[in-house]
Parts: sequence; C-alpha cells; structure tokens
Amino acid sequence: MSEAQSPASTAAPATTAAVAAPLLEVRDLHARVGGQTVLKGVSLTVRAGEVHAIMGPNGSGKSTLAYVLAGRPGYEIISGSASFEGRDLLSLAPEERARAGLFLGFQYPVEIAGVNNAYLLKAALNAARRERGQSELDAFEFLALVRSKTQLMHIDESFLGRGVNEGFSGGEKKRNEILQMLVLEPKLALLDETDSGLDIDALKVVANGVNSLRSAARAIVLVTHYQRLLDYIVPDFVHVLARGRIARSGDRTLALELERRGYDWIDGQAAA
Amino acid sequence: MRSPVLDRVLADYQGIAAQLPGDADSRAERGRAAARLGELGWPSARDEQWRYTNLRALDRIGAFAPDTVALAAPALPEMPELPPALPGFERLIYVDGRLVSGRRASQSADASAGPLAAEWLPEQRLGWLCDMFATDTAQLAIAGEAAIEILFINSGRASPGAAYPRLQLRCEPGSQVRLIERHLGTAASASLVAMNLTIELAREAVLTHYRLQQYGRDTVFIDTLSAQLGECARYAVRSVAVGAGSARTSARVQLAGRGASLAWGGIAVGRGEQVHDISLKVEHEAPETGTEELFRGIADERSRVAFSGHIRIDGRAPGAQTRQSLRGLIEGASAEIDLRPRLEILTDDVRAQHGATTGRLDEDLLFYLLARGIDRPTARSLLKWAFLGDALREIDVPALRAEAERLAAGQLPDVPDLGALA
Repeated sequence: MSEAQSPASTAAPATTAAVAAPLLEVRDLHARVGGQTVLKGVSLTVRAGEVHAIMGPNGSGKSTLAYVLAGRPGYEIISGSASFEGRDLLSLAPEERARAGLFLGFQYPVEIAGVNNAYLLKAALNAARRERGQSELDAFEFLALVRSKTQLMHIDESFLGRGVNEGFSGGEKKRNEILQMLVLEPKLALLDETDSGLDIDALKVVANGVNSLRSAARAIVLVTHYQRLLDYIVPDFVHVLARGRIARSGDRTLALELERRGYDWIDGQAAA
Repeated sequence: MRSPVLDRVLADYQGIAAQLPGDADSRAERGRAAARLGELGWPSARDEQWRYTNLRALDRIGAFAPDTVALAAPALPEMPELPPALPGFERLIYVDGRLVSGRRASQSADASAGPLAAEWLPEQRLGWLCDMFATDTAQLAIAGEAAIEILFINSGRASPGAAYPRLQLRCEPGSQVRLIERHLGTAASASLVAMNLTIELAREAVLTHYRLQQYGRDTVFIDTLSAQLGECARYAVRSVAVGAGSARTSARVQLAGRGASLAWGGIAVGRGEQVHDISLKVEHEAPETGTEELFRGIADERSRVAFSGHIRIDGRAPGAQTRQSLRGLIEGASAEIDLRPRLEILTDDVRAQHGATTGRLDEDLLFYLLARGIDRPTARSLLKWAFLGDALREIDVPALRAEAERLAAGQLPDVPDLGALA
C-alpha cells in the first residue's frame, strides 16, 4: 500500500489495480423495487485507492444501485452478486455493512429531532471501532476528533447539539453527511448525489471534505447527475448507467464528453 | 346495574365506614358517594368511555377497604431511596393514602367551607370510589407564588389494602403555582391506588402541574382529576406515565372564565402487559378560551395505550381556539394504541386544529441509523426516544426533566449513554 495521495491529485489506477484485490465487486446484479426491475445486470469493480463516478440520466438506476449496496429494505435482489472485501455483501444487514466499512451518503438525509448529531456520531463511531477491535473513544477524545472535522466542513460546533439534520438547509444536510463520513472513515464511501442542491461554495467545501478522505486504503464512489462535481473531485473512472446497466466506462474525459453530448447519446446506444 | 365487583366495593365500604376518619359531615359525604356510584353502576367494557380501561384488573383487587394498619399508624416506609428533594419545592408525602409529612391544610384554607364539591362525570365515576374511602385529604389554598412537590408512595406493606389519597387545591387570584405530583412505589402484591384531585384556579392564577407516574407493575392506579379555571387563568399539565400495571386517568377541565387556557402535554409508554388509559374532557364555557393538547403514546410488547381527547366548545365560547396533536407509536406485534380525538363545536366563531396519527416506526429514519452502523434495537429505541422528545422538552424544571427522561428511557431498551441524548 502506498501512502495517502494528496487531495484531488490524479490517481494512478493502473498501478493500484495491479496490487489491490477488489474492495467492491458487483457482478451482473439485477434488482427490483416496487415490482419494477431497475438494475438489469450491473457489474462494477472498485479497488482501494480509486475514485469512481457513476453518472446517468434520471431513472437510470443510480440511486437504486447505491441503496441496494447499502441494504435498504424494499429493494429485492433478483440475481447477481456483490462482495465487499471478499464477503458476500448482500447477505449482511445494513448495520453490518456500515460497520464493515461501507458508508452511504444519502441524497435526502432524514431529520431526526430529539436525537442530537453528537450522539449519533459517537454511537456510530464507537460501533465501527468495536467492529475493528478498537477501544471506544471517551468524551474528550471524541470531541477533539469531531472538532477538527467540523472545522474542515465549515460546520459550526453548535450543530452538534442540535437534532440530526433538524431544520438544516439542503446544503447543511449534505455537509453533515460528509462530516459523518470523515468521522467514520469508511473503507468505501458511496455518495448519492451529494452535489445536488449545493451552491458553488458549498460544493467546494463538500469536495474538499471528500478529497481529504482520499487515500490508498479507501475508495469512493460518487453517484451524480452532473459533471460539475467532477471538476472538484477528480475521478479515476467514470461509468454511465443507462436503463439499469453500465452502458459505458472510461476515464474522466467520458464525463466531459457526456456534458457536451448529453445523456441521449448514451441512452440511444443503450436502447439499441 | 349491579355487578359482583360493585357489590364487593359496597360491602367493603359498609364494613369499614365506622372506622374511616372524619366527622358527621364527611360521613354524609362518603355515604352520598357510595349512593352515587351505586346509581351509576360499575363501568363496563361495553361503555365506549371505559372500553380501553383494564377493568379486569379491578375485578382482581382483593380488598377495596383501605389498609387499617396504615390508617391507625401512618408512617414513612423503609424506602430504599426517596427522590432527591428539588430546590425551592416544598414537599408533602403521602404513604398508602395517608399524609405523613408536610402540611395538611394551608393557613388560608377555610376549613368551614368544607371540601370542594365535585360532581364526577360518568366517565369519571370511579372518582366516587376515592370519595367513599378517602383516607386523607390535603386542602391547600395558595396565594402568591408557591412550588410544591407531593410524593404519593405505595409502600406495599404486608397487610393488603387500597389507598385513597385526595388533594384539593385552590390557586387564589393572580397566584403562580408549580405543583409536582410523583407516584412511586414498591408494591409487591396487587394493590389499588385511587386518587382524586380537584383544582380551582381563580382569576389570573397560573398553575403548572407536573405528573410523573412510576408505580410498580402490580399497582392498579385510578386517577380522577377535575379542574375549573376562572377568567384568564392558565393551567399547564406535563404528564409522564410509565408505571402501574393498569392506569386510568379520568380528567375534566372546565374553562369557565373568559380567556382561560389549558395546555395539556402527556406521554404514556407501555411495556409488557401494561394498560395506560387516559380520558380528558375539556369544556369551553366562556369566550376566548384556549386549549392546546399534545399526547405521545408508545405501546411496546403486549401493552395498550389509549387517549380520548374530547373538546367541547359550547355557545358561550365564541373566539375559542383549540389545537390537538395526538400521536401513537405501536412497537409490539400485539400492542394496541387507541387515539380518539373528538371535537364538539356549538358556536360558529372557533379556530380548531386537530390531528391524530398512529403508526409504526418510520422505516426511512430507521434505515438512516442502521446505515450508520447503529444496531437495530438501539436504533429503534433512539427513534422512540425522539418521538417523545417534544413532550419531554416541555418539562421546564431541569432536575425533574432529567428524572422524566430517565423514566422514559427506562421503558425503552438499549438506549445507551442517556446523558448525551438530552
């Protein structure tokens, strides 16, 4: 394993791929939700150190893929497999997936009045630490850790005492998702439309947070509709999801081409 | 209509009447109470107003007469620990229905005026039970500012017997009163506590009334409350019920003076086989009166939680405003929640909002917590905790709120590190 890469630097996927076993391996995954088959044979390999972007038009199955991998109830696997560090991901409960190091950044983070952010962060962090065989952090160590992360995310410390996402603006909720990710330090972060609803300043803060987590030991999968996010978080791979399958994969120039030609270009190919 | 249990109640009364405290007037009052209960008959599950009460728990009460030992020699029991005193609050202690510590009557109470006359509604008819057997009555009339805490302790002494504490409170014009009522006990055998509370708020009096009920699971608790509010009087209730095997609250609040208002906030959390049944009737009888009602109930395991909120706005109450928010959460597969909002409006000029919802835990919220690695039982408890949050936050005496939170959390398994939640 090499040392952490500097933020937003261009990774060297070829080298990493040569040494690292896949962190996430999705094979021919078919899944349905609400009686409708949404994923129709998705295959994807993500190795430690890599950043992948999954793009696609609305309804192409991007969020479904994220939810299926995180274990959201109501999503039914029809066939195919997904493994995480060699373990059968799909047989694990959502909380086990999280403790194993999978983090889902929600597109629409929920509000939970009455449970404060600090409590959630601490409970989640200690659950992850127990899983890794580490001791739980005491209140002082926890606060020191969280404080440095809130500063990075431009989040006022008073947020910690408020209910989870209670009364937060859309941008604050997204920054809070990234804050949680930074505290939990997952092996694989699956960020579902983390850029939607962000103005340019908030987008930079979020991107900066995500980039700070880039390392040879971790992988990040960005699910996004727009190329804009990829100006700030430069991916190693770009995949285009259309009609429930990955229709095309490439490097970041694919995102730029998409921006120029629009999703109809891919959609037309996928339908053909 | 006669019932075997009513026959037992009346027989127990005849057997002990001569030993009960009081003068000829109070004997006459007890006799009248027995007659009224006889006329009205014992409540039946066929009656809509008693459908959700655990009447069978009352059938199982062995003796309705009060504990004669306690009557003869009231004493503080050997309690492992009384709740710590709250700074600034005067404390009264009832044990098994007898006042053993604190003043029985305030100096300004006019003893010759006798007890405040209460005529219980049919849905409050078990109030007559306490009036028949009442073992001790505190009569407090308060002017100015006061903070009072009353502990009602069910000691569970060896001799079986029911306890009938009674409290009559009058808040004089312009008074500002905080009243804490705590019900706690260690009763090991099935026992009955039936309490009557009559409250009168004079013009511009303000009463904040905190009620924490944490009896042991073997206690059957019958709680009957009537409050009457004068002009611009304000009455706030903050109630947390987690104890007793079966509890029934029958409350009536009359907004009799112009501008009088009620803010009722209640929580009930049931586990095991517990039954919490609350019936609240609010009567708007004067212009510009207001009611704000908030109830949060959780029924876990095989428990049952019922809340009936009847608000009646009659022709004398133009400009009345009411807001009712009743929410129930069912956790157990065979648990039951019954929320019954009822608005009866007999005037045109009214603003009324109400909502009642019952459901299970929100799956989206649950998934969010699970996706953060929090184990399922803890996640469920956290969400239940959050569900109670807005009602708990209304308790503005910090030490008491901490107690209420501890009690509520005690009903929820797997909430670790409570201190960090608040």
